[in-house]
Amino acid sequence: MLQRRLLAALLLALGTVQAAELRVITHSSFELPKELIAGFERQTGAHVSVIKAGDAGEMVNKLILTRANPVADVVYGIDNTLIGKARAADILDTRQPGLPAVKEVLPGAVSIDYGYVTLNYDKAWFASHKKALPKTLDDLTRPEWRGLLVVENPATSSTGLGFLLSTIEQLGEDPAFAFWGRLKSNGLKVVKSWSEAYNTEFTRNGGSRPIVLSYATSPAAEVFYSKTKQSDSPTGNLLLPGAVFRQVEGAALLKGGKQRELGERFIAFLRSVPVQQALQTSMWMYPVSDGVALHPVYRFAQTPRAHQSPSDERIRQQVPGWISRWTRTVLR
Amino acid sequence: MTRRLVSLAIGVLPVAFLCFSALFPVLALLQAGWSTAVAGLLSDPAIQWRLFWSAAQALLTCMVVLLLGIPVGWFMARHEFAGRSMLLRVMMLPFVLPTLVAGMGILALFGSGGLAGSTLEETPWLLLYGNVFYNLPLVLRAGIEGFGRVPETSLMAARTLGASRFAAFWRIEWPLARPWFLAALCMVFLYCFSGFGLALLLGGYRYATVEVEIYRMVAYELNLGDASVLAMAAMGGALLVALVHGRLEKSGARPISGKPAPRVPVRSLAGRLMGVGVMLILMVFLLAPLLAVLWRAVASDAWSVWLEEDTRLALFNTFRFTLFTLTGVLLIGVCHALAARHTVLLRGFALLPVVISPVCVAFGLLLLYPSLSASLVVLVSGYVLLAYPFVARGLSASLDSLPAQLPNASRSLGAGPLATFYRVVLPLVAPSLRRGLAFAAATAVGEFAVTLFLSRPEWLTLSTLIYQRLGRAGQSNIAAASCLSGGLLLAALLAFILIEWPDHGKENRA
Repeated sequence: MLQRRLLAALLLALGTVQAAELRVITHSSFELPKELIAGFERQTGAHVSVIKAGDAGEMVNKLILTRANPVADVVYGIDNTLIGKARAADILDTRQPGLPAVKEVLPGAVSIDYGYVTLNYDKAWFASHKKALPKTLDDLTRPEWRGLLVVENPATSSTGLGFLLSTIEQLGEDPAFAFWGRLKSNGLKVVKSWSEAYNTEFTRNGGSRPIVLSYATSPAAEVFYSKTKQSDSPTGNLLLPGAVFRQVEGAALLKGGKQRELGERFIAFLRSVPVQQALQTSMWMYPVSDGVALHPVYRFAQTPRAHQSPSDERIRQQVPGWISRWTRTVLR
Repeated sequence: MTRRLVSLAIGVLPVAFLCFSALFPVLALLQAGWSTAVAGLLSDPAIQWRLFWSAAQALLTCMVVLLLGIPVGWFMARHEFAGRSMLLRVMMLPFVLPTLVAGMGILALFGSGGLAGSTLEETPWLLLYGNVFYNLPLVLRAGIEGFGRVPETSLMAARTLGASRFAAFWRIEWPLARPWFLAALCMVFLYCFSGFGLALLLGGYRYATVEVEIYRMVAYELNLGDASVLAMAAMGGALLVALVHGRLEKSGARPISGKPAPRVPVRSLAGRLMGVGVMLILMVFLLAPLLAVLWRAVASDAWSVWLEEDTRLALFNTFRFTLFTLTGVLLIGVCHALAARHTVLLRGFALLPVVISPVCVAFGLLLLYPSLSASLVVLVSGYVLLAYPFVARGLSASLDSLPAQLPNASRSLGAGPLATFYRVVLPLVAPSLRRGLAFAAATAVGEFAVTLFLSRPEWLTLSTLIYQRLGRAGQSNIAAASCLSGGLLLAALLAFILIEWPDHGKENRA
């Protein structure tokens, strides 16, 4: 009896040792409730190890550098600004799992969620300074709104890149850079990352800029993470035409990954209703799956009706040139 | 001859560590970029400005910290006052502060709408101020130790022979303390030159340093060709400084014997005035941002964050990684310092971790050891690498000033080399070893490796947690981050007090 028990224990131990490991590489903003991932592990008997590789752009470059010996089996967090680069570098498996079609697609990968990069404004600041809100991109270059805007650098921040892309899509390439030149002379502030822009430059958090480049869901996050119960968000979306970029984020099997079947199940899991619900308030993105209810707090964030996003292919071909032109126009 | 062989044998461990964790990865990355490298990049005026500005701001910082460090270091080395020992510990706190938090503290003081009323934004002064804030501690601790070792007899002899106080300082005290200052300044220069975190935050874009440019090229453009040209230029410059310094230090190092001059209470009017001046300097350049951070923590009213599961994990990991780092750096650093007594080259090698570009190391590690890249081994070796120079260099300087008679006497009295080391050498160099370890702990608690290296959610540390909170909108996230930053400062202070506890009594003895 005892021997049999020991044998069972031994087998169990071996089982745990040999539990398949699924390596998921992702960006630093990845966050899902622990219970959900634990549930997936129970269901599949596998161990999910999450590897964070900096922001999304950095992550894709790390994947390109290690493509001969992939460091992960699945990637989550590639978006439409990076998918062209990832495909051109041939780091994604050519066969991706087939999942129900959705409106927001990411060619070569499976879209999981989407969001909008846009401008946020500090309601209290505009009220107390009795200033009207700018109505067009061009207003931002007028003396009336001088020195009010902080944006992230498109060379180091995906938010910054989104804004640059939407201005180009709206105005056309040359006029867009002319606009950036005028914006620069009108007291534009550029910082490296979203955290810096939002936490140190935005008037709401002690900075001097009442308009910040952020996300369309940020006003909802302000309510969700407020210290007291709010009936309205302290910030609002400034959905100027040419300042709304739609970011579609997805997951994909990596070329040379080891756990194909598990990877497929993980990607399907990211599309499942519980994950699609949870990611709304953990990563502040909209779910792509139909029939997943929006979290009630999202009523505090106005959803953009239109967006100005260049095609994935145009992004792939042009972004490096656009970024260096932007750097020459704005930073030198 | 056997002595050389022994130091060679001891030197194998640190040299192997430095090669595998830093040198080879960098070479791998440079090699990967070499085929597309164009030397013409260096004739681009924008790149030249980056190189020039990186060197200029580092030099400027060195000058400022030296000017501030000499009077403060001298005063603190010669005088006894209440809270002196605590002040020594507090001085190291900038090292643990995540740059974004320090930036928020500094901006709260000097940024737009800051308490100081004036705005330093969009000027290089903010970057310089940040550099001084982060680097003053290094120079101060070294300077205090340097001045603190000046023998009482030399000073008294000079004064008896008619030297004025100033002459005694200039001819006796300063020459003896100079090697300590030089060693620290060299670190400061290299930190600022290849500085990464702080320049990213406060420099804006015009005032960003070369390392920021390398980061952009590698991490965002995967432009390894240009990056390797720039990295070669930057590392070449840094290496030159390191070698010159190694030589200077070796020739300037001399054993100091004699009882150190005692510290006296502040009594005279001049002494009091100087004390006020010193406190003012410390207040403006060191304490004000720390107090701003603490004030924000107290005002945050987010104490419940300490009860969260994530915070417990972060505390546990911070403690665990600090311990790993200390163990690793103690072992390798002591070996290095012992082996480096006889070779200038090895001395220069101790500066390798600050000479090489951290961005190149991080990406080179990926290239070289992809299967290890998300393992704890790489993470801890990264921490050890960063903490390395503090222990190895501090200890080297301390060994240099050790009079040869003491170990010789011990040997001739029959003690073996190990017993001599353990019973004679170690107790004499222990204070500077502990100082190095305290700095090493500070770098481990700090934010390094948060972004550059592959990481895992289960490796959450306090500073990662702070960044995570600051990555989301909403007041309660900022409040939690502020509260955690305050806690980080207090925890680090506690760690410093514990590490340097054995010196506590001695420092307070007048």
